[in-house]
Amino acid sequence: MKKIGLREFLFLAPVIVLISIFSLVPVIQSFTYTFFDYRLNDQQNAGLYLNERFNYELFDETQLYLTMFLEEDKQQVTDPVLLGKIDTVIAKVEDKAKAFAGKEGVQKITKEEKTELIVLSKETQEVVQQLAEQYDTANEENLPLIAKDIENSIIPANFIGLKGYKQALGDARLGAALVNTTIFTFVSVAFELVLGLALAMIMNKAMRGKGLIRTTSLIPWAIPTAVAALMWSYLYDGSSGIVAHLFQMVGLVDNSRELLLSAGGAMVSTILADVWKTTPYMALLLLAGLQNISKDTYEAADIDGASSIQKFFTITIPLLKPSILVALLFRTLDAFRVFDLIYVLTGGGPGGATETLSIYGYKAMFAQTNFGYGSVIVMIMFVCVAVIATIYVKFLGANLMDKN
Amino acid sequence: MDTTSKKMKWIVGFLIAIYLFAMFFPFLWILITSFKTSGEIYGDGAFRFIPDNPTLQNFITVIVDKGILGAIKTSLIVSFTTTIYIVLVATFAAYAISRFDFKGKNVLLGIILAVSMFPQMIVVGPVYNLFQDLGWTNSYAIILPYSTITLPMAVWILVTHFNQIPLALEESAKMDGATPVQTLFKIVFPLAAPGVFTTAIIVFIAAWNEFLLTITINSNKSYHTVPVAISFLRTQFEILWGEVAAATTIVTIPTLLIVLFFQKQIVSGLTSGGVKE
Repeated sequence: MKKIGLREFLFLAPVIVLISIFSLVPVIQSFTYTFFDYRLNDQQNAGLYLNERFNYELFDETQLYLTMFLEEDKQQVTDPVLLGKIDTVIAKVEDKAKAFAGKEGVQKITKEEKTELIVLSKETQEVVQQLAEQYDTANEENLPLIAKDIENSIIPANFIGLKGYKQALGDARLGAALVNTTIFTFVSVAFELVLGLALAMIMNKAMRGKGLIRTTSLIPWAIPTAVAALMWSYLYDGSSGIVAHLFQMVGLVDNSRELLLSAGGAMVSTILADVWKTTPYMALLLLAGLQNISKDTYEAADIDGASSIQKFFTITIPLLKPSILVALLFRTLDAFRVFDLIYVLTGGGPGGATETLSIYGYKAMFAQTNFGYGSVIVMIMFVCVAVIATIYVKFLGANLMDKN
Repeated sequence: MDTTSKKMKWIVGFLIAIYLFAMFFPFLWILITSFKTSGEIYGDGAFRFIPDNPTLQNFITVIVDKGILGAIKTSLIVSFTTTIYIVLVATFAAYAISRFDFKGKNVLLGIILAVSMFPQMIVVGPVYNLFQDLGWTNSYAIILPYSTITLPMAVWILVTHFNQIPLALEESAKMDGATPVQTLFKIVFPLAAPGVFTTAIIVFIAAWNEFLLTITINSNKSYHTVPVAISFLRTQFEILWGEVAAATTIVTIPTLLIVLFFQKQIVSGLTSGGVKE
């Protein structure tokens, strides 16, 4: 082993940079998002504002129209008092605009500036109202709205602390999503383990056709999940889906049309599609473990007169345990994060019956553009994944890391 | 004894047959459907095994009107570039992890392993914002965040492979005055070539199958990869199963070829993640 120097460090630099920018920093950012009322399509909440800020661009636009419209409407005003007031407002607004010249985007402002701006906004609104009451001017309808925009340029802080998490605690939809995710994960991984183990043992025994079995097993694993999901959505289709038709024939469902339209049917269908896609993968992982168990152990057991069942429970399972745990770890985490399959197959429906945490998180973030609450959901999912991983790694012991 | 083992053989054979059928059937059915006319798909012929009036219309529509070949092209570009840069970067890192001694090595490995367990959903929001700010949405820059799914497993598989290459060879190279980079390319790389190739195949498949990042960041149709383009065939109001079947058939071909040619590498890559000692 060589000690690492600067030159050797360069070997690692690209990985560190990539992992930092695209994996670690985003996690920290997501975590930060959870403390803000952060909505992309809402002008007042489209950023993370710990303090109050001022939208200089919006103000600049506002003052431009405000002075223009006031100058225009002023022509009709005969009352000298009001005329004086209008002139003061215009002067004040122009003063502010001069003071703010050169500032761009959204920036912090001081308390004094904020109070001043609110006073100015109120004053302008009063003048505009008076103007509208006394005269019938051209910009009667626009002016009040524009006057209000001075205030709207002030962006309140949207730091909400732990409120997002508090909202999550009382969110029934989130609870349902968590339950759905758990059911999906538990049931599909359990089936995959049992079927995968059986399959691995058959594959281990099979003399002929090994290549064919391996190829056949790899195809479902290798095709994109979205493609598999679309394929299954056709097979499950109410009127022309052959699997739905088959289910109806053997009496699993009363009517093939209800398969994807009933809560239970949709969940069973997604689990079945997942089992179809990933059992072969599980089997391949377990097969590799099985092939590492030496034949001698079984022969010794044969001499001692052990039955097949005894051999299975006293030799195969204990010796296969590390492989089983690794396979379970990978599969549990994958199933818990499931997105593509459900997104394409059911979209979370019917009525949220198959909505998992990642689907809910995705909808909150990209359909409702609520990045704040979406991040809370994703963060809860992250914690669940961390807990699952920790439990498995505990069981696996240092096994996984020691090797390197 | 002889009869029971014969019986056993029959049972095993039967189970294998059922398994193969279950795995193959969805593909077979999609293939059959792709040649059916829509009248047959929605009408009485829905469950017929041999189409009455076989037609290529579905394929023509999908290729000409829906531009499925464009999606395949995008997917090829994205997957190949991802594979090349990820394998290159991961090779250097895995070599360093496998051969050099440095502080925080276990921390680095732990982080890499942890990243592979992240829910992808957690990086999508910030990466989306980053790409919006940089104006990188709807571009091939999407390959950069692909590192979050492909890089950890590439490093992991390669470290396993490098650890199996004896140190002695490199030490003699060093004595002959080779630099670390020379050692890596002249000694380690040729020896590790099978492992590197395995990694490349696995990374390629992972990049080919990626869905979430592309659907959120590249909303423009011309940057849709195969999985995303396929998912858009299923609209809310009409589902043209004939076209879906034809598109699925077409996009399954590349995967099928990869599996047929590289199954040994795929299996070795899949199982080097902690099963083999």
